[in-house]
Amino acid sequence: MTMTETTLTVNGQTRTLDVEPRRLLADVIRQEFDIAGVHIGCAHGACGCCTVHIDGTPRLSCLTFAVQCDGRDIKTVESLGGFDATHVLQLAFKSEHGLQCGYCTPGFLMTLVPYVEENVARGTLPSDEDIREAMSGNICRCTGYHGIVAAVRKAIGDQIGGGQ
Amino acid sequence: MKAENPRQIGARVQRFEDTRLLSGAARYIDDIRLPNTLHLSFVRAQVAHGRILEIDTFGLEDIGYPTWVFTGEDIGNLSMKAHQDYPEMQYSEQPLLARDVVRFVGEPVAAVLAEDPYRAEDAAELVFVDYDPLPVVGTMDQARDASIPPIFEGWKNSMFVERQMKGGDLEAARAQAAHVIRRTYRNQRQAGVPMECRGVVAHYTPGDRMLTVWSSTQMPHLVRTYIAEELDLPEARIRVIAPDVGGGFGIKGQVFGEEVLVAWLAIKTGRPVKWIEDRREHLVASLHARDHEHTLEAYVSDDGRLLGLWADISVDVGAYSTFPFTAAGDPGMAAKVMPGPYDFQAYEATFRGFATNKCPIGTYRGVARPSAVFSQERLMDDIAREIGMDPIAFRLRNVIREFPYKNVLGFTYDPGSYAESLEKIRDVLADDIAAAEASKSSATTRTGVGIACFVEQTAHGTPDFTRRRVPIETGYISARVEMQPDGTVVIGLGLQSHGQGLETTMAQVAADALGVLPETIFVRHGDTLTSPYSMGTWGSRGGPLGGGAVHMASMQIAEKLKVLAAHEMQADKDAITLYGGRAYVTDNPDRFVEIRTLARHALRNVENLPEGMIPGLEAEFSLDGPRDGTYANAVHAAVVEIDVPTGKMKLKRFVVVEDCGTILNPLVVDGQVRGGVVQGIGSALFEHFVYDAECQPLTTSFADYLMPQAPEIPDIEVHHIETPTPLTPLGAKGLGEGGAIGPAAAIANAVSNALDVEVSETPLKASAIWHLSAHLRGEA
Ligand code: FES
Ligand code: FES
Repeated sequence: MTMTETTLTVNGQTRTLDVEPRRLLADVIRQEFDIAGVHIGCAHGACGCCTVHIDGTPRLSCLTFAVQCDGRDIKTVESLGGFDATHVLQLAFKSEHGLQCGYCTPGFLMTLVPYVEENVARGTLPSDEDIREAMSGNICRCTGYHGIVAAVRKAIGDQIGGGQ
Repeated sequence: MKAENPRQIGARVQRFEDTRLLSGAARYIDDIRLPNTLHLSFVRAQVAHGRILEIDTFGLEDIGYPTWVFTGEDIGNLSMKAHQDYPEMQYSEQPLLARDVVRFVGEPVAAVLAEDPYRAEDAAELVFVDYDPLPVVGTMDQARDASIPPIFEGWKNSMFVERQMKGGDLEAARAQAAHVIRRTYRNQRQAGVPMECRGVVAHYTPGDRMLTVWSSTQMPHLVRTYIAEELDLPEARIRVIAPDVGGGFGIKGQVFGEEVLVAWLAIKTGRPVKWIEDRREHLVASLHARDHEHTLEAYVSDDGRLLGLWADISVDVGAYSTFPFTAAGDPGMAAKVMPGPYDFQAYEATFRGFATNKCPIGTYRGVARPSAVFSQERLMDDIAREIGMDPIAFRLRNVIREFPYKNVLGFTYDPGSYAESLEKIRDVLADDIAAAEASKSSATTRTGVGIACFVEQTAHGTPDFTRRRVPIETGYISARVEMQPDGTVVIGLGLQSHGQGLETTMAQVAADALGVLPETIFVRHGDTLTSPYSMGTWGSRGGPLGGGAVHMASMQIAEKLKVLAAHEMQADKDAITLYGGRAYVTDNPDRFVEIRTLARHALRNVENLPEGMIPGLEAEFSLDGPRDGTYANAVHAAVVEIDVPTGKMKLKRFVVVEDCGTILNPLVVDGQVRGGVVQGIGSALFEHFVYDAECQPLTTSFADYLMPQAPEIPDIEVHHIETPTPLTPLGAKGLGEGGAIGPAAAIANAVSNALDVEVSETPLKASAIWHLSAHLRGEA
């Protein structure tokens, strides 16, 4: 099998690896970088569990080959708030019960962090409908979404003031 | 002066496990990585029913890297056996790898191992299996057809089981009835679909002769026992660990052949073996659910009293009986729970589990109750409609009001709030009911309100399993509580937590008993080496029985702490209160000794102990459920709006009034209810596992198997009534499954109400609503 030299930066750690072109970004992050916060729920682009940031944009790491990311900056859930999970959205997930088994959670967080940031920058509290639309590419089987919607509302509301 | 001591039980404590789950520090099964591992990929049957003629592994010879292949011929008699020993059940086994015959698409035929998971998959694709096709039993109708041979040799017909349950005098009820109402209702086949698929890692270490198995399971001890018995190993040398588990919902509440096989392969190859299921495998070959058909006949008096019920229950249980709840589990449960919350004393049910060439069905949140309640509550509405009564008034006339109540099958219901819940929901929905009524005159937009009222038997004790001779055999939960010399506490819990928040709620329970902060209590679970033997997490028993066991064990330690404190303060033991990390004299909180000081004395400076007291601060308690369990109850209500010209339906509102007795943590309880409800909404509206006529699965990805996503779901309103049960130590009843039980019935009733039609099956996809509303467009 031919290998392709690929340089990836994951959560600030840069490594150059020989990678088979067919290896998924999700697998390479998990195996080569020993990062567990990227979860596979379907491996066919339908659940959002594997969402990471590539150069700041949420992407599905199960639909991306590692070799496509040569030279890119990749961030996983570990980059948000460290082992104490101190990011405002992580804290809101905790207080609003936005997670149960936690398997979908890194994907939701990575999808929603930029959404929260955009709304805070605009100073707007979006409608619940809009929040639900923002997470329409992620499946959570445990929570029924209620707590996740509440967490996003709280994270934005608390930052712009006058939330809830 | 006595102090006010707020309790942890009932407090909205944020979950301790969340930090780990939110930060990426959690470790699920695929995160278990051992050096030198062999990765397993299965060759699975591609035909639904066929005799294996040849398994051709020729392609692996020049693949260029090492592979290992095992087929049914290599594994001797290893199999999954899940039988209930009574004459109405026909015997079956599923070999861990198919021998001779395959019986559903996805059944494991060969195990292929390689040193890299991609390569294992590549290698598995080079294994060719040649089949001689056998006639397919694809539907329950085909299973009833005596001209089509059963899928197991020597069977007299295509039924795993056919049995009856009865109570009271149904003939008399029939004779008295002013109305006889007969209907047939159907629920589709679906799947439970935790977001994490299954997976197993096993490793045998010769030094300590220890087999360690990691599995994404809800029941590690049962996995251990099955492996020990099947592989003939001493159970003391097996450790089963469930790491963080990404959802279970009952699907992972089975012992699977894959778990036993991976353990066997690890011993056989002398290397760690790892199997991570992919989503397609999970959808076609883990476990399906529901697929019920019920015909009911109700006998009703002139004045709207239910006099008796006759039921004919059929379930398509697929190709094999699963361990430990068996192929009789779903059909038997449906028959058992069909009488529901209503007061009548004549009942007769026949239940059957048909064997077909489909993936086996098994326990999924609610286990037969969602289907039973669908039929029961659709029937209540259909009766009300036929006799011209309001559906809530009709239920109020028939609901049980006096407790304890002995039902028609002899089960005793503990106190609940059936009538209050109905009255409450009527108040909450008053505006919607009026709007629905007003929309009746509209030819374009119809609003409908539907309710489902039900009881759920939870936390049932050993006699309930013994009666059914089901291989689970018992349902007790154990906990071991140990205070350390510094006053911190470890709980070894026989439950396994996969989203329920047990690391928090069990700490709350122990904290109240021991007078310490829940943050100082570490709940260890899901590991047979650190937890006492238990049945695992299923059947809505974690709160009532797990919580009860933790409470009872903690109370034993509390008692010892009080004796010690009394000794040290020269006070009376019964005058000691444990709270806030202190043991103090109840009437004089200034006289106290720190609990951690007592712990140090009990475990280190034992010279301080009273004469004869044995060192140590640990206790274990095993709590079995009450004989008939404890009955939680709820009313679910759905409000739908249907656009008649397009058939488009919107779920506008979903309301729950529930009573699970004492609430341990409202945050967790509401989360369990809402999560369950949305799964029930999935059953009602979206989820359908479809096979073609040859039993080839058609819904093998998330593009075809549709689950609820956020935009389709409203906020779920939850109201509580608390009727603590006298039958469990904390007054708690089970609640994990209840959310999933009512939605299909409530939504179908709302559609029926909106369109003024009878609704007899789920899922209510857009096409179904289109057909059901045809008459309003003048098409019917
Ligand atoms: S795992 Fe990537 S979308 Fe599901
Ligand atoms: S928390 Fe379990 S899938 Fe979302």
